[in-house]
Amino acid sequence: MNSLQIALRVLRVDRRTRTSAILTAIGVAVATGLVLLLATLPFATQHREQRALWQGDNYYSRNSDGPVKLLFSSSKDYFDGKQITRVDVALTGGATAASIQLPPGVPQLPGPGETIVSPALGRLLQANSAAQLGDRFGKPVGALGEDGLRFPEQLVAVIGHTPDAMPETSSEVSGFPKGEARPDSLLMLLSWVGIIVLLVPSLVLVASSARLTAARRERRLAAIRLAGATPGQVTNMVAAETTLSAGIGAVLGLLISPALHGLASFVPWAGGTWLAADFALPVGLTVFIAVAIPVLVVLAGVLGLRRVLKNPLFATGGHTKKPLRWWRLLALPAAGLFFLVAVTTAKETGGIGMVMAGLFLLVGSAAVVGPWVTSAVGGTFVRIWRRPSALLAGRRLRDDPKGAYRASAGIVLAVFAGSMALTLLPTFESMAGGGRSFQDSVLYVDTDPQHAGKVADQANAALQQYGQHEKAVAVGQVYLVQGEGRERTGHQALVMTCADAVKLTRFGLTAAQCEGGPGIYSDSSLDLASYKIAGHYDEPGMAPVSGTRVETVRYPDADLSGSLVIDPAAVPAGVTPWRVTVVAPTTAANREIVRTALAAPAAGEEIGSRDQYLFNQQTELGDLRRVTVIGLIAAGILAGCSAAVATAGSVMDRRRTFGALMAAGTPVRVLSRALRMEAALPALVATIGAGIVGVLVGVGLFSMVDQGGIVLSPWILAPVVLGVGVALLGASVCTPALKRVQAEPLADE
Amino acid sequence: MDPNTPQWTNGPVLSGRGLVKRYGAQYALAGIDIDIQAGDAVAIVGPSGSGKTSLLHVLAGILRTDEGQIFLAGQRIDHLGEKKRSELRRTEFGFVFQSGMLVAELSAEENVALPSLLAGLGRKEAIEAGRGWLSRLGLAGKERRRPGELSGGEAQRVAIARALTHRPKVIFADEPTGALDTRTGRDTMDALLGAANETGAAVIVVTHDRELAESMPKTVAIRDGLIATRLAA
Repeated sequence: MNSLQIALRVLRVDRRTRTSAILTAIGVAVATGLVLLLATLPFATQHREQRALWQGDNYYSRNSDGPVKLLFSSSKDYFDGKQITRVDVALTGGATAASIQLPPGVPQLPGPGETIVSPALGRLLQANSAAQLGDRFGKPVGALGEDGLRFPEQLVAVIGHTPDAMPETSSEVSGFPKGEARPDSLLMLLSWVGIIVLLVPSLVLVASSARLTAARRERRLAAIRLAGATPGQVTNMVAAETTLSAGIGAVLGLLISPALHGLASFVPWAGGTWLAADFALPVGLTVFIAVAIPVLVVLAGVLGLRRVLKNPLFATGGHTKKPLRWWRLLALPAAGLFFLVAVTTAKETGGIGMVMAGLFLLVGSAAVVGPWVTSAVGGTFVRIWRRPSALLAGRRLRDDPKGAYRASAGIVLAVFAGSMALTLLPTFESMAGGGRSFQDSVLYVDTDPQHAGKVADQANAALQQYGQHEKAVAVGQVYLVQGEGRERTGHQALVMTCADAVKLTRFGLTAAQCEGGPGIYSDSSLDLASYKIAGHYDEPGMAPVSGTRVETVRYPDADLSGSLVIDPAAVPAGVTPWRVTVVAPTTAANREIVRTALAAPAAGEEIGSRDQYLFNQQTELGDLRRVTVIGLIAAGILAGCSAAVATAGSVMDRRRTFGALMAAGTPVRVLSRALRMEAALPALVATIGAGIVGVLVGVGLFSMVDQGGIVLSPWILAPVVLGVGVALLGASVCTPALKRVQAEPLADE
Repeated sequence: MDPNTPQWTNGPVLSGRGLVKRYGAQYALAGIDIDIQAGDAVAIVGPSGSGKTSLLHVLAGILRTDEGQIFLAGQRIDHLGEKKRSELRRTEFGFVFQSGMLVAELSAEENVALPSLLAGLGRKEAIEAGRGWLSRLGLAGKERRRPGELSGGEAQRVAIARALTHRPKVIFADEPTGALDTRTGRDTMDALLGAANETGAAVIVVTHDRELAESMPKTVAIRDGLIATRLAA
């Protein structure tokens, strides 16, 4: 009988080994499926960006890659809060459409006055009037395919022009780009954080499953060794047994993988969902993951045989375990130091590789420190116990801290990730707001002083054509400065009439404050004699027009502080604003019509509004919240499953002792309480520690993007509370497990 | 009153009447009547599968009978719920299993103190009582040792101390010497019977060991779920 046949026979006749094998297979399947999904995230973001490579102007070569054949401009437009990617193109003189190699998904190059739109934009064009949307583009003559879109519901328009009708900001290029796209850096960062914080709980789940009947297997193998089996034969038996269950699990993981990818494709990011094909992994990497996970399980099983291989009698009898060394505690500060250095260095170099390595080390250090903490908690309870359950739990924690910590390991990492996320999210949320000084509903487009009048005139003509009463006005931007050279300080100021400022800005000016002649409107009192007005910050300034008054206004929003409004009559002749913004008020009913009126004169410049700015912020925050919640739920479920499996394994390993105790009258509730304490005590201490480390890591990561302080909300405690709750929930499987033990004959072993 | 109900004034401390236990179609006990007097030491013998361990488990309330009645000190106990039966096992019975079945993580004194702690005794009193029993069974100085650090005979004596510490009426021992050599087994049985004699507890021992059975004052032989012979020394 060979090793595989023995393994199959054991599986056939032994129910508990069979249960363990099934749970191992499920654990491996979940871990394989999850790792296959996590590993695809960087590829998915890459695939998404690669499809949209041609839409942005970052990848177009403006050097001499060949003769200039194409004029190209890319800009953002909006409709009802949704972003439209607008690509303006024109063939240069002498170039033909046939000479341009089109990117995938773009069926043809639109001629002047024509447009190719994405299917989602096509539907919007059909559902809305030309004034609201259609007039911004040409006549639709074709549809973009999915392989040319960032995500299926993306709104894209490719608009054809003659060269002279192209926006002035357009670039001369030789054709569409063919290079490698750079994926969304935030999603890339989140992908790696996700991989690091979810990979370990996945492996903990596999390890817990694989250890489910370890003690029983050890006894069986010791008996086989005593019967004359060589270490090699025993190793082969374990390898065969674990390969069987882990192999089946890996195949199951591969099979459920497309379903997980399908589910992931529904999770929106940056305004859209994904194509299922985005989550495709290179075959080599898929095979590597599908093989590596079961190999790790087999290795763990074989390494766990050390005692049986060394001395089969030793494995069957009792022994004294070595206490854990205090130096394990050093792993955490060492990893923390590495992370700190990595974060500090990353600020200078911009690389996140070292930061991710630091994060991985911190996550890994939990596995070194956790058992020591578990042992210390056990030691404390051994000293102070008053009830039998505390004594049983304390002794168990002290006696087998590594095994006891295994139940909490996944939870500790989930709490760490949760605390990190709940440090970063409220801080990001607190940073939301701000934006330009115009009222939320006002549309604006930036231009230069030379074109501002023309843009405003054309926009007003279009507004009149559409029957709208709103008027677009040009608002210049100048500086009110003090001092010269390096001593110079100043305020940015909008040049507009007080009446327009009342209507168009959110400074909170009232009509009453406009009375009294030309003025400067500020949230603080200014000694105007010490100020000059300059078109650019660095230009020499000129004194304000004589008789200009300073009106102090109480601004409703703190982010406006320092910005001013200057009446055009107060600006001395000769000061030319460095930038001019054409602004137009809108109502909810005519916003898209006003935008359409601004679109043509804007000539490719983005038409913005504070409404849109805040909406985009909330979309980004919503994306972050969503992936955080999904990640934390996944980590929590993995951790809860690990805790449950580890607790069930702990009961199964000690079923004879528990059976004897119950036979002698020990109530199940006492043993349940002891097992719950075993799970909850180290979980409580370790999760508090993990929570603190998570907050510190969150602070470190935040410092990479902003120097401001973090915002701590009371929710920061939620991961610790939930962690202990999940630990208790996972440990609650001990009661049915103990009842099962109670129901079985005592001598059945 | 049921005429079958034994009177406790001078009657048996533990009685079984018409005990039947089935596993599927298989009868482990096929209608056994048995009386155990206070201070009795009874060996239950029989071949493998004869039903002797089932009888022990049924009498101790670990397993429920399918038919028949069990009386402890004249009170019927077979109809009690699991909670009450657990309480009885904790307070009125003591158990010694093969290989001790001690809690591996607890020290010898903690193992012995466990039943008292479960009964609500304070930590200090329970540990002191445990030490006293260990000392009486010749284990002074080994109170802090774990089961893995004790010999088989020592571990069995810890189990005996644990079974006696709450002064039970009946001690059930399932193959208590099964994992011990002859001499250690004899010493262990002497310790068990001597200590039980001190407290007045009855001892019921299930064993394969013919020599051990012959050394007991009373022997009950079981075959096919029925009592085959009753011998008194």
